[in-house]
Amino acid sequence: MTVKIEVIAGGIPHTKIMVGGIIASLVCLYLSYLNVVTGTEMFSFFGGLAVVAALIWGSNTIKVLCSYGIGTGVPSAGMIAFGSGVIAMLLATKFGIAAPIVTLVLAAVVGLILGYLSNEVLNMKIPAMVQSLTELAVVGAFTLMGFAVLMTGGFTFAALTAGSVTIMGLSLPSYQVSFIGGSLIATAFMLGALAVQHPFNACLGPGWTQDRMLMLAAECGFLSMFVAAIMSFALITTGSALISLVVALVGWGYTYMQYIGLSKRDAASWLDAKPIPDVEGH
Amino acid sequence: MTAVAAKPAAGGAMNPTAMVVGLVLLVIILGICWKVSPGLGLMALIGMVVGGVLIGFGTHFVPVGGAPAAMGQAPGIATGVAMLAAGAGLAGLFGGAWAAEQGLVVAVVTGAIGGGLMMAITCMMVNFIYVFGMGIPAASGKVKVDPITGDTQPEFKSQGTEGHGLPFVSFVGGVIGGILAGGGGTLIYLMLLDLYKATLPTLMKATEAQIMPVAISAAGIFAVGMFLVNAVLTAYNITGTIEGPHDPKFKRWPRAVVASAVASALCGLAAILIVVV
Repeated sequence: MTVKIEVIAGGIPHTKIMVGGIIASLVCLYLSYLNVVTGTEMFSFFGGLAVVAALIWGSNTIKVLCSYGIGTGVPSAGMIAFGSGVIAMLLATKFGIAAPIVTLVLAAVVGLILGYLSNEVLNMKIPAMVQSLTELAVVGAFTLMGFAVLMTGGFTFAALTAGSVTIMGLSLPSYQVSFIGGSLIATAFMLGALAVQHPFNACLGPGWTQDRMLMLAAECGFLSMFVAAIMSFALITTGSALISLVVALVGWGYTYMQYIGLSKRDAASWLDAKPIPDVEGH
Repeated sequence: MTAVAAKPAAGGAMNPTAMVVGLVLLVIILGICWKVSPGLGLMALIGMVVGGVLIGFGTHFVPVGGAPAAMGQAPGIATGVAMLAAGAGLAGLFGGAWAAEQGLVVAVVTGAIGGGLMMAITCMMVNFIYVFGMGIPAASGKVKVDPITGDTQPEFKSQGTEGHGLPFVSFVGGVIGGILAGGGGTLIYLMLLDLYKATLPTLMKATEAQIMPVAISAAGIFAVGMFLVNAVLTAYNITGTIEGPHDPKFKRWPRAVVASAVASALCGLAAILIVVV
Protein backbone atom coordinates (compact mmCIF):
# COMPACT_ATOMS: atom_id res chain seq x y z
CA MET A 1 0.00 0.00 0.00
CA THR A 2 2.59 2.51 1.06
CA VAL A 3 5.67 3.70 -0.70
CA LYS A 4 8.88 3.67 1.19
CA ILE A 5 10.75 6.82 0.27
CA GLU A 6 14.06 6.15 1.95
CA VAL A 7 16.08 3.07 2.65
CA ILE A 8 17.34 2.25 6.10
CA ALA A 9 20.85 1.16 5.29
CA GLY A 10 24.08 1.27 7.19
CA GLY A 11 24.72 2.37 10.73
CA ILE A 12 23.75 0.66 13.96
CA PRO A 13 20.67 -1.61 13.71
CA HIS A 14 17.53 -0.17 15.24
CA THR A 15 17.04 -3.05 17.71
CA LYS A 16 20.45 -2.38 19.21
CA ILE A 17 19.64 1.31 19.71
CA MET A 18 16.25 0.44 21.20
CA VAL A 19 17.69 -2.01 23.76
CA GLY A 20 20.49 0.42 24.58
CA GLY A 21 18.00 3.27 24.98
CA ILE A 22 15.73 1.32 27.34
CA ILE A 23 18.61 0.06 29.51
CA ALA A 24 20.45 3.39 29.65
CA SER A 25 17.27 5.34 30.53
CA LEU A 26 16.21 2.86 33.20
CA VAL A 27 19.68 2.70 34.76
CA CYS A 28 19.98 6.50 34.81
CA LEU A 29 16.50 6.91 36.33
CA TYR A 30 17.33 4.36 39.03
CA LEU A 31 20.76 5.92 39.68
CA SER A 32 18.87 9.09 40.61
CA TYR A 33 17.42 7.06 43.49
CA LEU A 34 20.83 7.63 45.13
CA ASN A 35 19.22 10.96 46.10
CA VAL A 36 16.95 9.13 48.52
CA VAL A 37 19.66 6.72 49.70
CA THR A 38 22.19 9.45 50.47
CA GLY A 39 19.65 12.08 51.50
CA THR A 40 20.92 14.69 49.01
CA GLU A 41 19.78 16.04 45.63
CA MET A 42 23.22 15.80 44.02
CA PHE A 43 22.31 12.92 41.72
CA SER A 44 19.42 14.70 39.99
CA PHE A 45 21.55 15.15 36.87
CA PHE A 46 21.08 11.44 36.11
CA GLY A 47 17.55 12.39 35.09
CA GLY A 48 19.01 14.59 32.36
CA LEU A 49 21.22 11.74 31.15
CA ALA A 50 18.12 9.52 30.97
CA VAL A 51 16.51 12.21 28.81
CA VAL A 52 19.49 12.18 26.42
CA ALA A 53 19.46 8.38 26.15
CA ALA A 54 15.71 8.27 25.52
CA LEU A 55 15.91 11.06 22.91
CA ILE A 56 18.68 9.31 20.95
CA TRP A 57 16.55 6.17 20.84
CA GLY A 58 13.42 8.18 20.01
CA SER A 59 14.98 10.02 17.07
CA ASN A 60 16.01 6.71 15.50
CA THR A 61 12.47 5.37 16.02
CA ILE A 62 11.06 8.44 14.28
CA LYS A 63 13.49 7.75 11.43
CA VAL A 64 12.09 4.21 11.11
CA LEU A 65 8.46 5.42 11.22
CA CYS A 66 8.80 8.46 9.00
CA SER A 67 10.78 6.61 6.32
CA TYR A 68 7.33 5.50 5.23
CA GLY A 69 5.52 8.51 3.82
CA ILE A 70 2.95 8.94 6.57
CA GLY A 71 1.99 12.28 5.08
CA THR A 72 1.54 14.13 8.36
CA GLY A 73 5.02 15.54 8.81
CA VAL A 74 7.71 14.51 11.25
CA PRO A 75 6.61 16.84 14.13
CA SER A 76 3.31 14.96 14.53
CA ALA A 77 5.27 11.87 15.60
CA GLY A 78 6.91 13.86 18.40
CA MET A 79 3.54 15.23 19.49
CA ILE A 80 1.79 11.85 19.72
CA ALA A 81 4.85 10.42 21.51
CA PHE A 82 4.56 12.97 24.30
CA GLY A 83 0.76 13.10 24.30
CA SER A 84 0.62 9.40 25.10
CA GLY A 85 3.81 9.46 27.17
CA VAL A 86 2.68 12.13 29.63
CA ILE A 87 -0.44 10.14 30.49
CA ALA A 88 1.45 6.90 31.17
CA MET A 89 4.23 8.66 33.05
CA LEU A 90 1.90 10.53 35.44
CA LEU A 91 -0.01 7.38 36.32
CA ALA A 92 3.25 5.48 36.86
CA THR A 93 4.55 8.02 39.39
CA LYS A 94 1.95 6.63 41.82
CA PHE A 95 3.93 3.37 42.12
CA GLY A 96 6.84 4.69 44.21
CA ILE A 97 10.21 3.03 43.63
CA ALA A 98 8.81 0.86 40.82
CA ALA A 99 7.80 3.97 38.83
CA PRO A 100 10.37 3.70 35.97
CA ILE A 101 9.53 0.04 35.30
CA VAL A 102 5.79 0.74 35.52
CA THR A 103 6.28 3.69 33.12
CA LEU A 104 7.87 1.32 30.61
CA VAL A 105 4.97 -1.15 30.84
CA LEU A 106 2.13 1.40 30.92
CA ALA A 107 3.51 3.52 28.08
CA ALA A 108 4.04 0.38 26.01
CA VAL A 109 0.40 -0.64 26.56
CA VAL A 110 -0.91 2.83 25.66
CA GLY A 111 1.38 3.00 22.60
CA LEU A 112 0.40 -0.50 21.49
CA ILE A 113 -3.31 0.35 21.53
CA LEU A 114 -2.70 3.66 19.72
CA GLY A 115 -0.59 1.79 17.16
CA TYR A 116 -3.39 -0.73 16.62
CA LEU A 117 -5.91 2.09 16.23
CA SER A 118 -3.82 3.88 13.60
CA ASN A 119 -2.86 0.77 11.68
CA GLU A 120 -6.14 -1.15 11.68
CA VAL A 121 -9.03 1.20 12.53
CA LEU A 122 -7.59 4.12 10.56
CA ASN A 123 -6.31 1.68 7.92
CA MET A 124 -2.78 3.08 7.67
CA LYS A 125 -1.26 -0.36 6.98
CA ILE A 126 2.31 0.68 7.71
CA PRO A 127 4.47 -2.26 8.84
CA ALA A 128 6.48 -0.28 11.39
CA MET A 129 3.49 1.62 12.83
CA VAL A 130 2.56 -0.47 15.88
CA GLN A 131 6.13 -1.00 17.07
CA SER A 132 7.09 2.63 16.43
CA LEU A 133 4.14 4.16 18.29
CA THR A 134 4.78 1.75 21.20
CA GLU A 135 8.43 2.80 21.33
CA LEU A 136 7.57 6.49 20.98
CA ALA A 137 5.14 6.39 23.89
CA VAL A 138 7.89 4.87 26.06
CA VAL A 139 10.38 7.49 24.82
CA GLY A 140 7.94 10.27 25.69
CA ALA A 141 7.26 8.85 29.14
CA PHE A 142 10.96 8.28 29.92
CA THR A 143 11.90 11.77 28.73
CA LEU A 144 9.25 13.41 30.91
CA MET A 145 10.25 11.29 33.89
CA GLY A 146 13.87 12.23 33.29
CA PHE A 147 12.98 15.92 33.27
CA ALA A 148 10.93 15.41 36.45
CA VAL A 149 13.93 13.81 38.18
CA LEU A 150 16.24 16.54 36.92
CA MET A 151 14.00 19.31 38.25
CA THR A 152 12.73 17.80 41.51
CA GLY A 153 15.21 15.06 42.42
CA GLY A 154 12.55 12.35 42.63
CA PHE A 155 10.09 10.43 40.49
CA THR A 156 7.23 9.74 42.91
CA PHE A 157 3.87 11.50 42.76
CA ALA A 158 4.55 13.14 46.14
CA ALA A 159 7.91 14.53 44.98
CA LEU A 160 6.33 15.96 41.80
CA THR A 161 3.40 17.68 43.50
CA ALA A 162 4.78 19.00 46.80
CA GLY A 163 7.43 21.66 47.29
CA SER A 164 8.24 24.10 50.03
CA VAL A 165 8.70 27.85 50.29
CA THR A 166 10.86 29.53 52.90
CA ILE A 167 9.31 32.66 54.36
CA MET A 168 11.44 34.45 56.96
CA GLY A 169 13.40 31.29 57.81
CA LEU A 170 10.23 29.23 58.10
CA SER A 171 9.81 26.34 55.64
CA LEU A 172 6.17 25.97 54.65
CA PRO A 173 4.70 23.28 52.38
CA SER A 174 3.53 24.65 49.06
CA TYR A 175 1.97 22.74 46.18
CA GLN A 176 2.53 25.62 43.82
CA VAL A 177 6.31 25.27 43.95
CA SER A 178 6.43 21.84 42.36
CA PHE A 179 6.91 20.11 39.01
CA ILE A 180 3.18 19.63 38.38
CA GLY A 181 1.73 22.44 40.50
CA GLY A 182 4.01 25.01 38.89
CA SER A 183 3.23 23.65 35.41
CA LEU A 184 6.91 22.97 34.77
CA ILE A 185 5.61 19.74 33.24
CA ALA A 186 4.19 21.76 30.33
CA THR A 187 7.62 23.20 29.57
CA ALA A 188 9.19 19.75 29.90
CA PHE A 189 6.54 18.44 27.49
CA MET A 190 7.44 20.90 24.76
CA LEU A 191 11.22 20.74 25.40
CA GLY A 192 11.06 16.98 24.90
CA ALA A 193 8.59 16.97 22.01
CA LEU A 194 10.72 19.41 20.01
CA ALA A 195 13.97 17.63 20.87
CA VAL A 196 12.70 14.22 19.77
CA GLN A 197 11.34 15.29 16.38
CA HIS A 198 13.98 17.83 15.41
CA PRO A 199 16.98 15.54 14.66
CA PHE A 200 15.30 13.55 11.90
CA ASN A 201 13.41 16.59 10.63
CA ALA A 202 16.71 18.44 10.25
CA CYS A 203 18.83 15.59 8.89
CA LEU A 204 16.38 13.82 6.53
CA GLY A 205 17.06 13.68 2.83
CA PRO A 206 19.36 11.85 0.44
CA GLY A 207 22.44 12.78 2.49
CA TRP A 208 21.07 11.32 5.72
CA THR A 209 23.66 9.61 7.90
CA GLN A 210 22.79 7.90 11.13
CA ASP A 211 25.71 9.03 13.28
CA ARG A 212 25.08 12.68 12.40
CA MET A 213 21.37 12.42 13.28
CA LEU A 214 22.07 10.65 16.58
CA MET A 215 24.72 13.22 17.47
CA LEU A 216 22.18 15.98 16.81
CA ALA A 217 19.69 14.11 19.03
CA ALA A 218 22.25 14.04 21.84
CA GLU A 219 22.94 17.75 21.28
CA CYS A 220 19.20 18.55 21.44
CA GLY A 221 18.95 16.44 24.59
CA PHE A 222 21.76 18.28 26.36
CA LEU A 223 20.37 21.65 25.23
CA SER A 224 16.95 20.76 26.70
CA MET A 225 18.71 19.51 29.82
CA PHE A 226 20.46 22.88 30.11
CA VAL A 227 17.11 24.74 30.09
CA ALA A 228 15.60 22.24 32.53
CA ALA A 229 18.65 22.57 34.82
CA ILE A 230 18.07 26.32 34.99
CA MET A 231 14.45 25.69 36.00
CA SER A 232 15.61 23.20 38.63
CA PHE A 233 17.18 26.05 40.66
CA ALA A 234 13.64 26.80 41.87
CA LEU A 235 13.02 23.32 43.25
CA ILE A 236 16.32 21.74 44.38
CA THR A 237 19.39 23.04 46.23
CA THR A 238 21.65 25.44 44.34
CA GLY A 239 24.67 23.11 44.50
CA SER A 240 22.75 20.20 42.97
CA ALA A 241 21.27 22.39 40.25
CA LEU A 242 24.79 23.69 39.47
CA ILE A 243 26.02 20.11 38.98
CA SER A 244 23.18 19.48 36.47
CA LEU A 245 23.97 22.76 34.74
CA VAL A 246 27.68 21.95 34.36
CA VAL A 247 26.96 18.40 33.13
CA ALA A 248 24.49 19.81 30.57
CA LEU A 249 26.93 22.52 29.41
CA VAL A 250 29.87 20.12 29.03
CA GLY A 251 27.67 17.56 27.24
CA TRP A 252 26.18 20.16 24.94
CA GLY A 253 29.56 21.69 24.10
CA TYR A 254 31.06 18.29 23.25
CA THR A 255 28.10 17.04 21.17
CA TYR A 256 27.80 20.39 19.37
CA MET A 257 31.45 20.32 18.30
CA GLN A 258 31.05 16.69 17.22
CA TYR A 259 27.90 17.53 15.26
CA ILE A 260 29.59 20.42 13.45
CA GLY A 261 32.47 18.07 12.64
CA LEU A 262 30.09 15.44 11.23
CA SER A 263 28.22 18.10 9.23
CA LYS A 264 31.51 19.24 7.69
CA ARG A 265 32.32 15.61 6.89
CA ASP A 266 28.98 15.05 5.13
CA ALA A 267 28.88 18.41 3.34
CA ALA A 268 29.96 18.60 -0.30
CA SER A 269 32.17 21.55 0.50
CA TRP A 270 32.64 23.95 3.37
CA LEU A 271 33.28 27.69 3.30
CA ASP A 272 33.62 29.61 6.54
CA ALA A 273 31.81 32.76 5.38
CA LYS A 274 32.37 34.72 8.62
CA PRO A 275 28.99 36.44 9.16
CA ILE A 276 30.62 39.23 11.20
CA PRO A 277 33.47 40.67 9.12
CA ASP A 278 36.74 41.56 10.83
CA VAL A 279 37.01 45.35 10.44
CA GLU A 280 40.17 45.97 12.45
CA GLY A 281 42.45 45.88 9.42
CA HIS A 282 40.73 48.82 7.72
CA MET B 1 10.40 10.50 -5.89
CA THR B 2 8.55 13.65 -4.96
CA ALA B 3 6.77 14.14 -1.69
CA VAL B 4 3.43 14.42 -3.46
CA ALA B 5 3.81 11.08 -5.21
CA ALA B 6 5.01 9.34 -2.08
CA LYS B 7 1.82 9.97 -0.12
CA PRO B 8 0.51 6.77 1.45
CA ALA B 9 -2.51 5.26 -0.26
CA ALA B 10 -4.37 4.54 2.97
CA GLY B 11 -7.61 4.77 1.03
CA GLY B 12 -11.11 5.37 2.25
CA ALA B 13 -11.89 1.70 2.88
CA MET B 14 -13.12 0.72 6.33
CA ASN B 15 -11.87 -2.30 8.20
CA PRO B 16 -15.07 -3.72 9.82
CA THR B 17 -13.23 -6.20 12.08
CA ALA B 18 -10.96 -3.50 13.44
CA MET B 19 -13.92 -1.16 13.99
CA VAL B 20 -15.70 -3.84 16.04
CA VAL B 21 -12.51 -4.57 18.00
CA GLY B 22 -12.23 -0.83 18.66
CA LEU B 23 -15.80 -0.61 19.95
CA VAL B 24 -15.29 -3.69 22.15
CA LEU B 25 -12.13 -2.06 23.57
CA LEU B 26 -14.17 1.08 24.30
CA VAL B 27 -16.80 -0.94 26.19
CA ILE B 28 -14.07 -2.80 28.14
CA ILE B 29 -12.40 0.47 29.18
CA LEU B 30 -15.75 1.97 30.22
CA GLY B 31 -16.40 -1.23 32.18
CA ILE B 32 -13.07 -0.99 34.02
CA CYS B 33 -13.87 2.62 34.87
CA TRP B 34 -17.36 1.64 36.12
CA LYS B 35 -15.70 -1.01 38.30
CA VAL B 36 -13.15 1.30 39.95
CA SER B 37 -15.19 4.50 40.16
CA PRO B 38 -18.87 4.06 39.26
CA GLY B 39 -20.09 7.60 39.92
CA LEU B 40 -17.72 10.52 39.46
CA GLY B 41 -15.07 8.65 37.45
CA LEU B 42 -17.46 7.17 34.88
CA MET B 43 -19.18 10.51 34.31
CA ALA B 44 -15.78 12.18 33.82
CA LEU B 45 -14.69 9.46 31.40
CA ILE B 46 -17.86 9.76 29.31
CA GLY B 47 -17.31 13.53 29.15
CA MET B 48 -13.73 12.96 28.02
CA VAL B 49 -14.79 10.48 25.32
CA VAL B 50 -17.32 13.03 24.01
CA GLY B 51 -14.61 15.72 24.06
CA GLY B 52 -12.14 13.46 22.26
CA VAL B 53 -14.68 12.58 19.58
CA LEU B 54 -15.45 16.29 19.08
CA ILE B 55 -11.72 16.94 18.56
CA GLY B 56 -11.33 14.02 16.16
CA PHE B 57 -14.44 14.95 14.17
CA GLY B 58 -13.70 18.68 14.24
CA THR B 59 -10.20 18.26 12.84
CA HIS B 60 -11.75 16.86 9.61
CA PHE B 61 -13.26 20.28 8.89
CA VAL B 62 -9.96 22.14 9.14
CA PRO B 63 -8.30 22.77 5.76
CA VAL B 64 -4.85 21.29 6.39
CA GLY B 65 -2.60 21.94 3.41
CA GLY B 66 0.80 20.76 4.54
CA ALA B 67 3.97 21.28 2.52
CA PRO B 68 2.23 21.32 -0.93
CA ALA B 69 0.08 24.26 0.25
CA ALA B 70 3.19 26.16 1.30
CA MET B 71 4.37 25.87 -2.31
CA GLY B 72 0.97 26.99 -3.61
CA GLN B 73 0.23 23.57 -5.14
CA ALA B 74 -2.68 22.51 -2.94
CA PRO B 75 -5.43 24.38 -1.08
CA GLY B 76 -5.44 24.82 2.68
CA ILE B 77 -3.43 26.25 5.53
CA ALA B 78 0.24 25.66 4.85
CA THR B 79 1.15 23.53 7.86
CA GLY B 80 0.48 20.14 9.44
CA VAL B 81 -2.33 19.04 11.73
CA ALA B 82 -0.06 18.88 14.78
CA MET B 83 0.84 22.56 14.43
CA LEU B 84 -2.75 23.66 13.68
CA ALA B 85 -4.07 21.70 16.64
CA ALA B 86 -1.44 23.12 18.95
CA GLY B 87 -2.16 26.65 17.70
CA ALA B 88 -5.90 26.87 17.22
CA GLY B 89 -7.23 24.08 19.41
CA LEU B 90 -5.15 24.91 22.44
CA ALA B 91 -6.11 28.58 22.07
CA GLY B 92 -9.68 27.42 22.55
CA LEU B 93 -8.73 25.23 25.48
CA PHE B 94 -7.00 28.08 27.26
CA GLY B 95 -9.93 30.37 26.53
CA GLY B 96 -12.31 27.86 28.05
CA ALA B 97 -10.03 27.34 31.04
CA TRP B 98 -10.35 31.03 31.93
CA ALA B 99 -14.12 30.62 32.12
CA ALA B 100 -13.98 27.35 34.10
CA GLU B 101 -15.52 28.97 37.18
CA GLN B 102 -18.63 30.09 35.27
CA GLY B 103 -20.02 26.59 34.87
CA LEU B 104 -19.83 23.87 32.26
CA VAL B 105 -21.93 25.38 29.49
CA VAL B 106 -20.39 28.86 29.57
CA ALA B 107 -16.87 27.43 29.70
CA VAL B 108 -17.39 24.99 26.81
CA VAL B 109 -19.01 27.71 24.67
CA THR B 110 -16.13 30.08 25.52
CA GLY B 111 -13.63 27.39 24.52
CA ALA B 112 -15.51 26.77 21.27
CA ILE B 113 -15.56 30.49 20.45
CA GLY B 114 -11.87 30.77 21.30
CA GLY B 115 -10.99 27.92 18.94
CA GLY B 116 -13.27 29.21 16.18
CA LEU B 117 -11.95 32.76 16.47
CA MET B 118 -8.35 31.59 16.30
CA MET B 119 -9.10 29.52 13.19
CA ALA B 120 -10.97 32.45 11.58
CA ILE B 121 -7.96 34.73 12.13
CA THR B 122 -5.58 32.03 10.90
CA CYS B 123 -7.65 31.39 7.74
CA MET B 124 -7.95 35.11 6.99
CA MET B 125 -4.24 35.78 7.38
CA VAL B 126 -3.41 32.69 5.30
CA ASN B 127 -5.59 33.96 2.45
CA PHE B 128 -4.13 37.44 2.88
CA ILE B 129 -0.64 36.04 2.37
CA TYR B 130 -1.72 33.79 -0.51
CA VAL B 131 -3.46 36.57 -2.42
CA PHE B 132 -1.25 39.58 -1.70
CA GLY B 133 2.03 37.84 -0.87
CA MET B 134 2.20 34.95 -3.32
CA GLY B 135 -0.21 36.35 -5.90
CA ILE B 136 -2.41 33.28 -6.26
CA PRO B 137 -6.24 33.16 -6.29
CA ALA B 138 -8.25 30.78 -4.11
CA ALA B 139 -9.42 27.72 -6.04
CA SER B 140 -10.49 24.29 -4.91
CA GLY B 141 -9.22 21.25 -6.80
CA LYS B 142 -11.79 18.81 -5.47
CA VAL B 143 -15.13 20.41 -6.48
CA LYS B 144 -16.40 22.24 -9.59
CA VAL B 145 -18.34 24.90 -7.67
CA ASP B 146 -18.01 26.15 -4.13
CA PRO B 147 -20.86 24.41 -2.22
CA ILE B 148 -21.66 27.58 -0.24
CA THR B 149 -21.15 30.54 -2.59
CA GLY B 150 -21.68 28.69 -5.89
CA ASP B 151 -18.54 30.26 -7.41
CA THR B 152 -16.94 28.18 -10.15
CA GLN B 153 -13.47 26.90 -9.38
CA PRO B 154 -11.65 25.27 -12.37
CA GLU B 155 -11.09 28.59 -14.22
CA PHE B 156 -8.88 29.83 -11.40
CA LYS B 157 -6.96 26.62 -10.87
CA SER B 158 -3.41 26.57 -12.26
CA GLN B 159 -2.40 23.60 -14.38
CA GLY B 160 -0.52 20.88 -12.57
CA THR B 161 -1.78 21.85 -9.14
CA GLU B 162 -4.52 20.41 -6.95
CA GLY B 163 -5.90 23.91 -6.46
CA HIS B 164 -4.48 26.62 -4.24
CA GLY B 165 -5.38 29.32 -1.74
CA LEU B 166 -8.26 28.99 0.67
CA PRO B 167 -11.76 28.89 -0.94
CA PHE B 168 -14.72 30.15 1.08
CA VAL B 169 -15.98 26.66 1.93
CA SER B 170 -12.58 25.78 3.41
CA PHE B 171 -12.65 28.98 5.48
CA VAL B 172 -16.08 28.05 6.89
CA GLY B 173 -14.86 24.50 7.50
CA GLY B 174 -11.86 25.81 9.40
CA VAL B 175 -14.06 27.89 11.69
CA ILE B 176 -16.44 24.95 12.34
CA GLY B 177 -13.45 22.72 13.05
CA GLY B 178 -12.00 25.25 15.47
CA ILE B 179 -15.35 25.51 17.28
CA LEU B 180 -15.72 21.73 17.65
CA ALA B 181 -12.08 21.10 18.64
CA GLY B 182 -11.92 24.06 21.04
CA GLY B 183 -15.15 22.97 22.74
CA GLY B 184 -14.00 19.34 22.92
CA GLY B 185 -10.64 20.25 24.44
CA THR B 186 -12.34 22.46 27.04
CA LEU B 187 -14.78 19.67 27.92
CA ILE B 188 -11.88 17.26 28.62
CA TYR B 189 -10.17 19.88 30.78
CA LEU B 190 -13.33 20.67 32.79
CA MET B 191 -14.13 16.99 33.40
CA LEU B 192 -10.63 16.34 34.76
CA LEU B 193 -10.59 19.55 36.79
CA ASP B 194 -13.87 18.68 38.54
CA LEU B 195 -12.64 15.15 39.25
CA TYR B 196 -9.30 16.33 40.65
CA LYS B 197 -10.91 19.09 42.71
CA ALA B 198 -13.16 16.49 44.33
CA THR B 199 -10.58 13.75 44.94
CA LEU B 200 -7.14 15.35 45.39
CA PRO B 201 -7.80 17.02 48.81
CA THR B 202 -8.39 13.66 50.53
CA LEU B 203 -5.61 11.97 48.55
CA MET B 204 -3.00 14.59 49.43
CA LYS B 205 -4.43 15.50 52.86
CA ALA B 206 -4.66 19.21 52.06
CA THR B 207 -7.38 21.80 51.57
CA GLU B 208 -8.96 22.42 48.17
CA ALA B 209 -7.32 25.85 47.93
CA GLN B 210 -3.89 24.31 48.49
CA ILE B 211 -4.21 21.61 45.80
CA MET B 212 -5.78 23.90 43.18
CA PRO B 213 -2.46 24.54 41.37
CA VAL B 214 -1.84 20.79 41.12
CA ALA B 215 -5.41 20.09 39.98
CA ILE B 216 -5.36 22.81 37.31
CA SER B 217 -1.91 21.91 36.02
CA ALA B 218 -2.52 18.15 35.95
CA ALA B 219 -5.90 18.59 34.24
CA GLY B 220 -4.31 21.01 31.77
CA ILE B 221 -1.41 18.79 30.79
CA PHE B 222 -3.73 15.77 30.42
CA ALA B 223 -6.06 17.81 28.22
CA VAL B 224 -3.11 18.92 26.08
CA GLY B 225 -1.85 15.33 25.82
CA MET B 226 -5.26 13.94 24.85
CA PHE B 227 -5.80 16.82 22.43
CA LEU B 228 -2.55 16.05 20.60
CA VAL B 229 -3.20 12.29 20.55
CA ASN B 230 -6.66 12.83 19.01
CA ALA B 231 -5.41 15.42 16.53
CA VAL B 232 -2.53 13.24 15.31
CA LEU B 233 -4.78 10.16 14.99
CA THR B 234 -7.11 12.26 12.82
CA ALA B 235 -4.12 13.44 10.82
CA TYR B 236 -3.27 9.80 10.15
CA ASN B 237 -6.87 9.24 9.04
CA ILE B 238 -6.76 11.99 6.43
CA THR B 239 -3.13 11.12 5.55
CA GLY B 240 -1.93 14.60 6.34
CA THR B 241 -3.97 16.89 4.12
CA ILE B 242 -7.64 17.72 3.55
CA GLU B 243 -9.43 20.62 1.87
CA GLY B 244 -12.39 20.90 4.21
CA PRO B 245 -15.90 19.45 4.52
CA HIS B 246 -16.31 19.16 0.72
CA ASP B 247 -13.22 16.97 0.31
CA PRO B 248 -13.92 13.27 -0.50
CA LYS B 249 -11.56 12.37 2.36
CA PHE B 250 -14.11 13.90 4.75
CA LYS B 251 -16.22 10.74 4.33
CA ARG B 252 -13.61 8.84 6.33
CA TRP B 253 -14.77 10.45 9.57
CA PRO B 254 -16.42 7.31 11.11
CA ARG B 255 -12.99 5.68 11.38
CA ALA B 256 -11.57 8.68 13.22
CA VAL B 257 -14.58 8.87 15.55
CA VAL B 258 -14.06 5.25 16.65
CA ALA B 259 -10.28 5.71 16.99
CA SER B 260 -10.69 8.98 18.93
CA ALA B 261 -13.29 7.48 21.26
CA VAL B 262 -11.04 4.51 22.13
CA ALA B 263 -7.90 6.65 22.47
CA SER B 264 -9.69 9.21 24.67
CA ALA B 265 -11.19 6.48 26.82
CA LEU B 266 -7.78 4.87 27.25
CA CYS B 267 -6.00 8.12 28.14
CA GLY B 268 -8.94 9.24 30.28
CA LEU B 269 -8.89 5.98 32.24
CA ALA B 270 -5.21 6.54 33.04
CA ALA B 271 -6.01 10.09 34.18
CA ILE B 272 -8.81 8.81 36.44
CA LEU B 273 -6.74 5.93 37.87
CA ILE B 274 -4.25 8.46 39.26
CA VAL B 275 -6.75 9.70 41.80
CA VAL B 276 -8.94 6.64 42.50
CA VAL B 277 -6.34 3.87 42.99
